[in-house]
Amino acid sequence: MTIFSRALGVSLTRLSLGLALAATAAVGTAQNSVRIGMITDRVGPAKPYAEPVAVGAAFAVKQINAQGGLLGRQIELLTEDDQGRPDVSATAARKLSDQGVAFILSVSLTPATQQAQSVTLETKTPHMTPSNSGDTLTTQIDNPNFWQTGPLGSTQIATLLAYARSKNFKRVALITDNSDLGQLINRFFKAGLEKAGIQVVAEEVVPRGANTAEPQMQKIRAANPEALFMAGVLTPENVLILRAYRQLGLKTPVLGNYNLSVPQYTAVAKGLLDGVVFVDAFDPAKAETARFIESYRKDTGNEPYNLMGYGYDGVMMVADAIRRAGSTDKQKVREAMQATTGYVGVMGSVGATYQFRDGKRTGFDPNGMVVRVYEGDRQGRVVHVGLK
Amino acid sequence: MRDLLELTVSALASGCIYGLLALAYLLMTRPTGIINFAVGEWGMVGAFGGFVLLSALEVPYALGLPLVVLVMAAVGWGTERLTVRPLVERGAPVLAPILALLGMLVVFREIVSVGFGPDPRPVPGALGFGRLELGLIAGSYQSFFIIGSTALVFVGIWWFFERTLTGRSFEAVAIDRRAAALMGINLARVTAMAFAAGAMVAGFAGVLVAANVSAHFMMGLPLAIQGFTALVIGGVGRVEGALLGGLILAFTEQFIVRYAPIPAGLAMGVPLVLLIVFLLIRPTGLLKAREARA
Amino acid sequence: MKSLAGYFFAAVVLSAIAFVLGSYQTDVYRKLLLWITLALSYNFLFGVSGQVAFSHFTFYGIGAYSIVILTTQLQWPLPLAIVAAVLICVVAALVVAIPATRLEGFYLALATLAFAQLFVVLLNEGGSVTGGTGGLANYRIPEIAGLRITGPWYTIVIVVLMLGTLAVLWRLERSHFGRACRAVRDNPEAAAAMGVDPRRTRIVAYVISSALAGLAGMVYAFVDNTVNPVIFGLENAFLLLFMVIIGGSGSHAGAVIGAVLLYLMPFVLSPLIGHHHALVFGLVMVLAVLFQPQGLIGLWHSLRDRRAASAGRSTP
Repeated sequence: MTIFSRALGVSLTRLSLGLALAATAAVGTAQNSVRIGMITDRVGPAKPYAEPVAVGAAFAVKQINAQGGLLGRQIELLTEDDQGRPDVSATAARKLSDQGVAFILSVSLTPATQQAQSVTLETKTPHMTPSNSGDTLTTQIDNPNFWQTGPLGSTQIATLLAYARSKNFKRVALITDNSDLGQLINRFFKAGLEKAGIQVVAEEVVPRGANTAEPQMQKIRAANPEALFMAGVLTPENVLILRAYRQLGLKTPVLGNYNLSVPQYTAVAKGLLDGVVFVDAFDPAKAETARFIESYRKDTGNEPYNLMGYGYDGVMMVADAIRRAGSTDKQKVREAMQATTGYVGVMGSVGATYQFRDGKRTGFDPNGMVVRVYEGDRQGRVVHVGLK
Repeated sequence: MRDLLELTVSALASGCIYGLLALAYLLMTRPTGIINFAVGEWGMVGAFGGFVLLSALEVPYALGLPLVVLVMAAVGWGTERLTVRPLVERGAPVLAPILALLGMLVVFREIVSVGFGPDPRPVPGALGFGRLELGLIAGSYQSFFIIGSTALVFVGIWWFFERTLTGRSFEAVAIDRRAAALMGINLARVTAMAFAAGAMVAGFAGVLVAANVSAHFMMGLPLAIQGFTALVIGGVGRVEGALLGGLILAFTEQFIVRYAPIPAGLAMGVPLVLLIVFLLIRPTGLLKAREARA
Repeated sequence: MKSLAGYFFAAVVLSAIAFVLGSYQTDVYRKLLLWITLALSYNFLFGVSGQVAFSHFTFYGIGAYSIVILTTQLQWPLPLAIVAAVLICVVAALVVAIPATRLEGFYLALATLAFAQLFVVLLNEGGSVTGGTGGLANYRIPEIAGLRITGPWYTIVIVVLMLGTLAVLWRLERSHFGRACRAVRDNPEAAAAMGVDPRRTRIVAYVISSALAGLAGMVYAFVDNTVNPVIFGLENAFLLLFMVIIGGSGSHAGAVIGAVLLYLMPFVLSPLIGHHHALVFGLVMVLAVLFQPQGLIGLWHSLRDRRAASAGRSTP
């Protein structure tokens, strides 16, 4: 017996062990529980945004279970870590499908969610992303089993432009980072601006790991725009942009995407936020939102913030669809999910609802974002609602 | 003109950070031949140390910064003791400690990621975040602080290597390990000191840069790559080379972004192209070592 | 001595497995086979030829993107596209190898690292050709003569790829060329004195390994039917290096063991340790390098030698 055959044997044993371990998870079908799967990034670049969304989702599951469960059964939330790696995300999707989950939530990097779709397209497992705002997620692959309830980049720019209509911007600058989502949102921001007849006079990118944004901001200053739109989603790089903005004495109005609504900015961008305009979908004055904040606070002792709301809404909508379907049958759940209409969640302005109109699979209400302004370092009042 | 001068200050400051990281590599590579990719993660640890001491505990900067640096010395010394010394003593090939340190890279990052969570954390600037104008030259307080303190560090290290006995023993070890050992120089001590010094410099850079960019768990790898690139450009041979490499990298990067008419996305390839060009044309870097012995 | 019968037997066994696995297990199995293939070719580059390169995954990516672009955007038939994609990999490898092999040790590593990052930047800026940051999706493996290979049959393709790569490398390693590679790795001056051209040897080794990686990439492109810049980034390059080191560099069996172990480890660790599996992974790396620098195959050898010695027989 050659070394190689021996090694092959050893490897096969190891392989069988690994697969056996994986297989044991597949045994034990959803008899007494409704299984819902969640693929999230626990160690990689998407972690800052994935973790709070996942926390919100887990909280929703806990709440549903405490109130009697779904279809009379408890929900079992199976969480997989894709490490922000798209190929692992696809594998995780397969694992969850094999385990008989009724629905998969993708809370990770945009390409990872995309790659997982190649699996759910095949297995026909209902699949959704509750927080991702990349417009191409529902268009690049035509996957009838996939829905997106995060606020789209195109919705964000449309809302910002509706707010800025009175200002009559003609020439603006765009700045973003080199993350996949940042680039995607930039693309749709640019498209939205050009559609409104506004000229983009400067377009800059701050790469991940940069330690200053001054050259980019100098270039923007030289182009003399009437406003600066921030399309990036990496907090450290956005902080650099804001810092350079102050440092260079720029006075142009700054309008940012929903990333600027996360509370971390108050800590790391002290003194840099006053007057910055941003879109958000979290109105604490709204009844559902207030209830969510209250129950979360009571349960964990911590204050929730907007990202958790997305996860919460995602699970709640999935549960709602399954309830309406009356079972976990994939086809019935699919139809029920597509038929979702008038659903009022935690996220979205007062009067906003989730629905999947005209066969589209993006559910966030185009009118459902609000525009707020930072006052000092605090997230200030709502100055505009929706697209009017 | 004002733009140019202001950009110069910015590039100087960035170049100093790159130079400090290149210096950290150099301090460890010269006497031991070991490339420690974990310097970026050490920068991250320093940054979080800065967060804990300076932001969370609000220790005054003049006290907090040296404390962070001291802690980093312990981190460097500890890393050497646990993961490098056993391998060197066993006569393992030079690749082995490099790989062990790559593993430590993951360990450091995960400890911080799990310990502090994924959110970025603020680190204060040395003198706050105001804007300083000296005639036509302008920059942020932090930029000037970085430039000033880096200059001090480099002068200090240069003086250490050129004028002190311990420093010259480092040089001796770098030139010829065996001969140095035969002359009675304690190799283990030199290695331990090299790692402690490397960690101190890397951590120091981390605190300085985190004031602008915040401390976050993914900041290590970009720092490591930037430092590396600076090292290659400047050359491993001389301490001054690290700073020169850092400055060249920063100036090229920033001036191309600012003035070259190429799309922003491609401008990110500039440091990479620069690195490749240097590797192909002059891999030993711009400054040659003093007595070049293979 | 790996005979044709041995390969055939292995092919049958490994293919048979493909028919009994569920969907998730098939996915794990396929990707495992691909990683083994990559580890084998990387082992040749790193272990046998002694070149520390971080560009292996880049060629995986070049192969994958090439085949997808050629078959979906240019509509070339599959056999022609495969040949063309291999040629692209070879040319790219030459472009990198010819200047880079002048560099020693960690400079070569740096150059290949820079090349790997440059590739990602180019992918991101590639507009509609490369799909930019989102990559390319929504394609399927094209038909050959009206047949579309999917399911367990495609897994067999991967098995054939893996065994084929092993066969080529096995042959190569035992040949005059393999000996030349090892000679250049251990002592370039002596090798040159013996009439071996170190640079040419290195270039050929680099091109062959990289082309094999590219071939694996072409097969990968149709596993998930998605390619994007994130898959072919740096993290995987480090993982590959670890696989070869932990398993034991310079040895085929080592590469296989390293790949199997490191690929499956996160799957096994994750349910047990949850959040902290990456930390444990890093610690295991450090411990493995500290306590077994020859890799696991070195451990295996010493165990086997000890057993043989205690049984009173000399080592075979």
